[in-house]
Amino acid sequence: MRTSQRGRHAVAAGLAATALLATASCSGADTAATGGAPADAAKLKLTASTPAAKGHQDKANWLLEDEPDSLDLDTQGSSAGRVVLTNVCERLYQLQPDNTVKPFLAEKAHAPDDRTLVLTVRDGVTFHDGSKLTADDVLWSLKRHADPDMEQADEFGNVRSMKKSGAREITIRFKAPDALFTKALAGDAGIVWNEKQVTAAGKDFGTPGQGDACSGPYTLGSWKSGDSLTIEAYDKYWGAKPLTDRVTFRWASDSALVNALKTGAADGAYAESPNTASALRGTKGIDQYYGPSTASLVLIPTARGGLKDPQIRRALSLAIDRTGIARSGYGGLVQPWATPVGSGAWGYEKQRFAAAQDELDDVAPASPTADDLAEAKRLVKSAGAPADPVVIGTDSSQGRTVVANAARAALQRIGLKGQIKTVPTAQFEEFYSDPGARADIDVLVGDWYISKADPMGFYDNGLSDSSNNWVGFKDKTYDKLVHRALGTLDDKRRASLALDVQRRFSDAAVWIPLAQVPSALVIDDRMTGPPASQSYLYYPWAARLGLKKG
Amino acid sequence: MTSLVSRVSRRLLGLLATLFAASFVIFAAVYAAPGDPAVFLAGGRDKLTPERLATVRAQYHLDEPLVVQYGRWLWDCVHFDLGRSFKYSDQVSDLVAARFPTTLQLVAYATVLFVVLGVGAGILAAVKRSTWVDSLVVGGTTLAASVPSFVAAIALVSLFGVQLGWFPVTGSGEGVTGTLRHLTLPALSLALGALAIISRVTRQAMADAAASDHVEVARASGVPERDIIRRHVLRNALGPIVTMCGLVMAGMLAGTVVVETAFGISGIGSLLVGAINTHDFPVAQAVLLLMVTGYIVVTTLVDVVHPLLDPRVKEATS
Repeated sequence: MRTSQRGRHAVAAGLAATALLATASCSGADTAATGGAPADAAKLKLTASTPAAKGHQDKANWLLEDEPDSLDLDTQGSSAGRVVLTNVCERLYQLQPDNTVKPFLAEKAHAPDDRTLVLTVRDGVTFHDGSKLTADDVLWSLKRHADPDMEQADEFGNVRSMKKSGAREITIRFKAPDALFTKALAGDAGIVWNEKQVTAAGKDFGTPGQGDACSGPYTLGSWKSGDSLTIEAYDKYWGAKPLTDRVTFRWASDSALVNALKTGAADGAYAESPNTASALRGTKGIDQYYGPSTASLVLIPTARGGLKDPQIRRALSLAIDRTGIARSGYGGLVQPWATPVGSGAWGYEKQRFAAAQDELDDVAPASPTADDLAEAKRLVKSAGAPADPVVIGTDSSQGRTVVANAARAALQRIGLKGQIKTVPTAQFEEFYSDPGARADIDVLVGDWYISKADPMGFYDNGLSDSSNNWVGFKDKTYDKLVHRALGTLDDKRRASLALDVQRRFSDAAVWIPLAQVPSALVIDDRMTGPPASQSYLYYPWAARLGLKKG
Repeated sequence: MTSLVSRVSRRLLGLLATLFAASFVIFAAVYAAPGDPAVFLAGGRDKLTPERLATVRAQYHLDEPLVVQYGRWLWDCVHFDLGRSFKYSDQVSDLVAARFPTTLQLVAYATVLFVVLGVGAGILAAVKRSTWVDSLVVGGTTLAASVPSFVAAIALVSLFGVQLGWFPVTGSGEGVTGTLRHLTLPALSLALGALAIISRVTRQAMADAAASDHVEVARASGVPERDIIRRHVLRNALGPIVTMCGLVMAGMLAGTVVVETAFGISGIGSLLVGAINTHDFPVAQAVLLLMVTGYIVVTTLVDVVHPLLDPRVKEATS
């Protein structure tokens, strides 16, 4: 219940974007290029960061896929808003390009016991209106985030109390140990607002024409609704000065976005759709970087029809051609994957998670072998083939259509019938949330990402009482392990528990993972510096953007 | 003069009645569209418990009967309060006000283009009737009209924007020259479809006017051909031409969606598409109403102006 969040809409829209096929060949810094089109999904190289910039520049033009809804992430958190605001607002913890977190506006954090967290508020930080950042602002902000009407309220489910315990000290007490809480403080739940400014703006806070109420390296310059948004380097910033003085954001989707980058009207963008990056591959003057993200493509089965049986679900997972999907649906820019979260979720114990992911190949192979198919058929035989065709729910976007067809082909291969049901994108989104809307489908061609770099941020979706556990998977040991892991503060021990949980989730095929979707940075080849990983949503990436040459 | 006043006031009353009817139809249509705004309003996929959805519905009055919601909306509307956007927390009026000028500029530019080029081509075809020039105009404009605006947009962008780099490919630009440069390609793709209609109407209206008796008389009495075309033919043909120009322009106010999307212009059209996709009721309703209002106002204006241009219509109606 606590981790994936409303940025989903943006990813869904991105993946649904009008498809543009990869036609280009290799180019300079394109780390994924292998000389031909499409990219080879298996060799896609993911880097957390781009090479550091050396040169200062006055301005940069950046593209978003949509205009931000609002710059108050408590009331309306969308990806577009985050990409901008992460340069303007700072959080108590900070997500690093390599997806680890460290204390930030909380200069120090200290846990006297596993149910208490004491944060020391950083000294010498000023808000953009010049006023000093105080512990009172921190406490007020935390309470605002925790308000049940706000986006981040569910992050505070374990919190018993939050109090100011010293001039620069906040003490948070928990009902139960909460391993994800500090990670949430690196996300939107950790933003520190200037109480005075937010209160003064009232209902209009976050809309065009209002101040930003933050302390980051950039300050909100102007937001001309429907036209552009500009951020400017903040002169009195407490940390290192940004390399780029001013960043102007504009927004465009699909081909307009691709054209703007192609013609140099924009200097860069984080492409939410792999197809956008794909359309720009090999374009002269543009570098591309791919980084780890938590996003994935998945099949989400429902309790209706044949897929209710775990054996049939496992059989489908064994028979589906993940490599084919990556190649023909996404120009090779997604990677066949055996877990429902991308590698950006590995914020700790990376090697162990990577090794475990490789081992899961036995339940979710990249391309099914003869043995896999034989095993799948055996499973179907043992379960008894369902009489009705399996209804696959999708929208008409290129990627999803390819996935739906691949699922149907896989079903056919193991002697089952598949039937594709296509609905408009707006209606498609409701499949995720409304059991009534998905009453007619057996499996959804879905995508998902989580906001925290911790696989445990995902696996609570398999809990017996989770609203995202559509197949009615019930396993007491699983539930117990998930709760224990969520309450285990030690990374090493939590990783062990997470791996156990992950194996159980995979064996039961609660969801069927297909591919991980890396984040993609497309950028003018004179520039470099920002991270390529999904951290761009929570890390002040613009401050590191600059020229390659000094 | 009094007849004009009473006619205009009659028109105004009719305009209000039409608006009222249209507003209800729009409200009901947006309401009936598939999809639940509460799902969007409630936030992420994993927060959507039935209780949370119910709270959101109550908070935004979505659980009330349609007529009550309409009444509430209409009441606010006549008090100049269009509400707050579900998607953007901003006031709907601010959102619309920020985007409307762009769409208006785009339509105005396109109108200038299709009026000048379309009427020009029509006059040319009428004057050079049954020559190769005539055939060329008719053929050319028919070809232009058969290209859908989104195809024209893509073709224009890739040729003049991406390949040749003469025009910018996104945004609406700043200042007079910037705006002109940014809006040339979008306006051109909008105007292309209208060219054929306008040139054809102009050509036909002029042919009809040229065939009338007084033109024959004027010609017989030795008035120079130039003057005949200008004073007698064109003047008499102006009624249908202006009417058609007005109608086409009014239609454009509601039809910029495709072109705005192709060129990455944040106008009323793209605002509407976004609002519909996210079930942003207040915005969708306001934009649709604005489009309908624009259409009604322009067509009413044309109706009012028409008799002033053509005394015969005035006699017939009074």
